Amino acid sequence: MTSWVTEHTETTLSFDERKFTDFATVKEALIAQRVDAVFMLAPMAMQLRADGVPVKVVYLGHRDGTALVVDKHAAIEDFGDLRDKRIAIPNRFANQAILMRRMMRDWEMAPDSIQLLEVPPPEHPAALESGSIDGFIVGEPFAALAELNGTGRVLYQTKDIWPNFISCVLVVREEWIDEEPQAVQELVTGIARSGMWLESGLEQRMEAAEIAAENFYYQPKELLEYVLSKPPDRVKYSELGPRRDDFEEIMELALEFGILSRRIEFEEYVDDRFVPDADQAGWDLEHLPGTRHGAVL
Amino acid sequence: MKLKVSLGVLVWTLLISLAHISLNIGWSNVGDVVRGMFSNAKTQLRVGYLPVT
Repeated sequence: MTSWVTEHTETTLSFDERKFTDFATVKEALIAQRVDAVFMLAPMAMQLRADGVPVKVVYLGHRDGTALVVDKHAAIEDFGDLRDKRIAIPNRFANQAILMRRMMRDWEMAPDSIQLLEVPPPEHPAALESGSIDGFIVGEPFAALAELNGTGRVLYQTKDIWPNFISCVLVVREEWIDEEPQAVQELVTGIARSGMWLESGLEQRMEAAEIAAENFYYQPKELLEYVLSKPPDRVKYSELGPRRDDFEEIMELALEFGILSRRIEFEEYVDDRFVPDADQAGWDLEHLPGTRHGAVL
Repeated sequence: MKLKVSLGVLVWTLLISLAHISLNIGWSNVGDVVRGMFSNAKTQLRVGYLPVT
């Protein structure tokens, strides 16, 4: 998407992607201005803003696309069976951590009845395979990876227990919002267009899997095809504008569980001015520019 | 003698600087700064991501 935006930008800017393997490092990179925008966990973005870091949420990366995975052979049939188990989460400031605590509350379990361990997302499947954890909750493709390598099975998809679940959001440093709003708009519109294209059919999802596998994620194409199709609504790329109700729900839960240090108002950490133009963006549904048809990548 | 000391200081400073860049800063970050200072190329908006949905 960044490659496509660079190719089609109307500004003098280019958009460059930087890959990270854990959220703590990407957070530090944003604070240190080694990156200008990041796809980051929603509660982490809220806490950054509460700590006075000049960043704002401008769009979502996706909805749903997270699964709670357990050892394939474990006698775990529902959430109650996770009592006294070790479950990996991507970060303490992850919406996955909030979901686990909300589930414990709803199942009338003590807050410490499940041991939550912070593990970088790419390490979740290997940790499950080695037996150092009993399960994990993380964004795709790592749940699918554990399924496909035969070590894990999905206990819950978040779409079934927290519909329209928000995991990662696009966070941009405020100086870019103030000084280069056109660049931020192009980035947001690029995400919106990519989402529209992904939601337009299975063929498009398969092509996206191939592009992401070869150029960005460096993961097997078959794995990403599985993520984007089994079932097709496993990850959603629609309704990506940040909605007040969603974020206030996350805020209330995060405060209840002691994940955020203080309450901040929606307007303090969200800037949704880029959403209307993005949502009105058109898209050539014949092909994805920048692919084998357009050769941008 | 003065010349030798000056050269020694120069070489030492250069080596320490190179080691500092290599160990603490990173050549890609230095490259970004230099490109921003001297080239007419586009300014970059750097987007960080994890290989996760």
